Amino acid sequence: MDTHHSAALLDPPGAPTRPAAARVRGAVKRYGRGDTAVTALDHVDLDIPAGRFTAVMGPSGSGKSTLMHCLAGLDTLTAGQVVLGDVDLGSLNDRDLTRVRRERIGFVFQSFNLVPTLTARENIVLPSSLAGRKPDADWFDQVVATVGLGDRLRHRPAELSGGQQQRVAVARALVSRPEVVFADEPTGNLDSRSGTEILEFMAAAVRDIGQTIVMVTHDPAAAAYADSVVFLADGRIVDAIDDPTADTVLDRMKRIGD
Amino acid sequence: MRSLVLHNMWAHKRRALAAGVAVVIGIAFLTATLLLGNAMTRGIDDLFSEGYSGTDVEVRSTDVIASGERDIAATIDESLVAELAAIDGVAAAIPVVEGTAQIVGADGEPIGGNGPPTIGTNWVGMDRNPYVLLDGRPPVGAGEVVIDSGTADAGDLRVGDRTTVRVPAPIDVTVVGVAELRSGEQMGGVTFTWFDTDTAQDLLLGDADALYAVDLQAEPGVGDEELRAAIESSLPSDLEALTRQELIDEEMAAIEADFLGFFTTFLLAFAGVALLVATFSIHNTFAIVVAQRTRETALLRALGASRGQVLAGVGAEALVIGAVAATVGLGAGVGLAIGLNAILTALGAGVPTAGLGMTIGVAVLALAVGVVVTLVAAIAPALRASKVAPIAALRESAIDESGSSTVRAALGTAVTAAGIAGLVFSTDIGSSPLQIAALGGLAVFVGLILLGPVVARVAAAVIGTPIAAVRGQNGVLARRNAMRNPKRTSGTASALMIGTAVVALFASLGTSIKASLGDLVDESFGGDLVISPEGFSGAGLSPAMAADIAEVPGVDAVARLSFAAMLVDGRNDEPLATDFEQLAAVAELDVIEGDLASIGDGGFAIGRDYADDHGLALGDELTAEFLDGSTETLTVGAIFVNDDLMGDNLVDDAVWERHTSTPEDLIVMVDIDDGASLTDVRAEVQTVVDRYGSPSLQDSDEYLEAQGEQIDQMLGLVYGLLALAVVIALVGIANTLSLSIHERTREIGLLRAVGQTRSAVRSTVRWESVIIAVFGTVGGLALGTTICWGLIRAIAATEGFGTFAPSTTTLVVVLAVAIVAGVVAALRPAARAARLDVLDAISTD
Ligand SMILES: Nc1ncnc2c1ncn2[C@@H]1O[C@H](COP(=O)(O)OP(=O)(O)O)[C@@H](O)[C@H]1O
Ligand SMILES: [Mg+2]
Repeated sequence: MDTHHSAALLDPPGAPTRPAAARVRGAVKRYGRGDTAVTALDHVDLDIPAGRFTAVMGPSGSGKSTLMHCLAGLDTLTAGQVVLGDVDLGSLNDRDLTRVRRERIGFVFQSFNLVPTLTARENIVLPSSLAGRKPDADWFDQVVATVGLGDRLRHRPAELSGGQQQRVAVARALVSRPEVVFADEPTGNLDSRSGTEILEFMAAAVRDIGQTIVMVTHDPAAAAYADSVVFLADGRIVDAIDDPTADTVLDRMKRIGD
Repeated sequence: MRSLVLHNMWAHKRRALAAGVAVVIGIAFLTATLLLGNAMTRGIDDLFSEGYSGTDVEVRSTDVIASGERDIAATIDESLVAELAAIDGVAAAIPVVEGTAQIVGADGEPIGGNGPPTIGTNWVGMDRNPYVLLDGRPPVGAGEVVIDSGTADAGDLRVGDRTTVRVPAPIDVTVVGVAELRSGEQMGGVTFTWFDTDTAQDLLLGDADALYAVDLQAEPGVGDEELRAAIESSLPSDLEALTRQELIDEEMAAIEADFLGFFTTFLLAFAGVALLVATFSIHNTFAIVVAQRTRETALLRALGASRGQVLAGVGAEALVIGAVAATVGLGAGVGLAIGLNAILTALGAGVPTAGLGMTIGVAVLALAVGVVVTLVAAIAPALRASKVAPIAALRESAIDESGSSTVRAALGTAVTAAGIAGLVFSTDIGSSPLQIAALGGLAVFVGLILLGPVVARVAAAVIGTPIAAVRGQNGVLARRNAMRNPKRTSGTASALMIGTAVVALFASLGTSIKASLGDLVDESFGGDLVISPEGFSGAGLSPAMAADIAEVPGVDAVARLSFAAMLVDGRNDEPLATDFEQLAAVAELDVIEGDLASIGDGGFAIGRDYADDHGLALGDELTAEFLDGSTETLTVGAIFVNDDLMGDNLVDDAVWERHTSTPEDLIVMVDIDDGASLTDVRAEVQTVVDRYGSPSLQDSDEYLEAQGEQIDQMLGLVYGLLALAVVIALVGIANTLSLSIHERTREIGLLRAVGQTRSAVRSTVRWESVIIAVFGTVGGLALGTTICWGLIRAIAATEGFGTFAPSTTTLVVVLAVAIVAGVVAALRPAARAARLDVLDAISTD
């Protein structure tokens, strides 16, 4: 565990602020109308620093997934702005948003990450195949080697364990060299060993190649792999810490819960 | 359990609706067929009843010989009218003359004759005449006719118009009256031409003292049976008396055998195919629904529902869908019947439909069929549902990639192999190759249905390969989706397979028959021109025409064929009469014994098989009996091999002409001199032909083409069948796709999240649909063509001719239609898939 903490420490506190891979300004997301309206995001401002591993935490229903969906161009804001790199997502139509997701964003979901009819390899290259492009072969080999899937590439998802499936998903997210990888509770369905592996890969990707990753989690131990943690409650950012440990995270969580 | 069934159905209205649509279409056709058939039967019955309303008993000859399309009856003597009139109980005795007379319309084209008879008869001014003159007056003397109002309309003829009537010699006449039944009803296509009695006798019977029959009207208070009893004792043995009801029954039986039977059989075949396709569609829908509900079912089982209850639940759902769909189909059937009849009426073949009212019988039958079909289709899925183990509630539902139990594969292969063996060896086994080939075809069909799920994976993979190559990742996904559930893919494709198999079968039969005809004519016909009447039920050709053509310079030989109504050695083998010497010049009969040219008067020529069957040899003598009561001795003067075109027994025409007073030719074949110009001679022959009411003059290619057109018309009907089957199959494909998409909601959401555009989602669904459609169609085309090949082989073995010629154009067109159908079927499901909310789809809960 400690080694990974040191990985996070590569970017010590007080270092100059990194450029933002994505910016959220005055984000409001409201579901429904009138009496039954739910405000899932309530004027959120947030910068996702490039090349860093950011964890989003908060109690259930605090708006974590909503925030991530809006960041990733899967959902639109009621008010406010999400800028990915230099693109204002709010100004894009469905087609362009889809292209942005395909080319500039990577996803890892909690479950059902893979298309059951495609092999592991086909799933990994899916975004580039959908774009009609061939992925970079060297990079592909490197990613696959890193996540340790070598002999499993020809298998269908049904023939893979949950951990292996999530590794394929991580490989898919990384292989297209996206600007940001979004992961929504990527270890939520895994046993702790598999979960640890996945988190290590993600941390390594940030450390070794400067991949930007945003991960939603409610597990303090998982959040400890991140470089920084943002806390949400009732749709608002209520706290943030850099270089978290499981203990500091738990501590803040308790305070928010109170 | 009951509320659960209803709740389930309500929750899946769309699904239930889609399953029902197939039943609705099938039942609508069944209902329309039954209603139309009933209405036509009643309508025609009414028509005959009215037509015979002036007749209580008819007296006519018992001597009847079937010849060609007609029954030729011996005539009776006119003196009978007075004798019968004198009998107690007879109020009136009416002479009846009947024959064929085809009237030519204002445009010079003969009216009718394409199926319904063209009746020539005598006008009698009598009480209770069922016909009334709308305009003009009764015909008097030669050269005057009354025609029925339908014919007047069809030929644009009015009172006072001069025209020609073919009896078959062309006669110049003036239309002096237009008549119709009192009720104003008409039988589509039948034409009536009335002459005065003397003229009718002269023209239609060729004998001034002859009659076809005598119709009797009874004194008031004397019943039909009573009247018959009163006269029967005084009738000679070769005459019979029939009551009005017997006459109507006889006409009805004839029209049932001839037209109505064909019509209803044809429509019933439509309904049958529709219902068969529907069964597959419903089966498939239920199978998918049951599979999707596995967890829910398992939960019910875990909570204590018994197998029986689960079974009953699915059964009840099928029952409700079947009942509702059949009811809707029943209603739609009434509309369809009205529509079909309107089309028939527009085509001039409308039949008085004595109200297309629903009867209890039809309603009960249609409802029962609808419900039974749905229940049968749902049986297997219901059983599968009942076998779901409670533990399945706890399992993550996996994709069902199973398609093939070994038993299914083995059974399917065995049945298919047996069927193919039947088709291939039909000519070697037993004495009825056609039946064996037909059974073989059926077995191949059943075998393929069984094998469908076994081969679906591979088939979808193969069909999908080019699509994947061209359409990239979307194509790859479409291909994999089509492969992922072989049972579902094959079930969906089966519906289309049935429809296309029927079309391929008939289209290839059509082209094969055309090819066979072509070969036949090439082989047997050595002449240059053919003259034939346009329709097959109108007037024949005037014998005088052949004589006139023979005078045309450059004409080498004129051979005519006519039906000769006679019995030879007591048998009716429907001989054709011809002039052998002339025939020898135009036909290649391949004579092996004797010589056609020297047969002469009293000669008889027979096919080799005919000779073998009846133990006849050259020089043998046979007795011919004729309707005029006389007999003659015929001598076998030639035995030939090629009996396909002209039949297997030919009699010298001089013999036949001695015994008929109404000679007419069936067909006239002309051979021209070697040095003569075909164009010039043809032009000359045309002027002669024009003088005889313009029957069609064609060279052998044109003749073949005209025959082919009739086949093409039949095929037109078959394409109607395709359209229906395609519509039902389309509904089935759309339904399957919708269910699959519902099942794949999360997968589609995932694809959208990682970058599949909406149009790419649509494209994926569309190509999956095309793969399924092509699978079904290729199967159907292969099946239909194979069965056709087997049947033609069997026919060739029994009939001695038959050339298999698959209709490649049709096959290509059908395949193209199927691809389009696949695209169309995918429209709605693809749109739904593309509309799926990505967030809803990927949300974990
Ligand atoms: N599609 C939706 N319609 C209505 N309310 C929603 C919808 N999605 C989320 N919410 C509400 O928005 C709030 C935030 O949800 P979410 O972002 O899923 O929270 P988290 O991921 O932190 O558990 C919750 O109160 C949730 O009920
Ligand atoms: Mg969440």
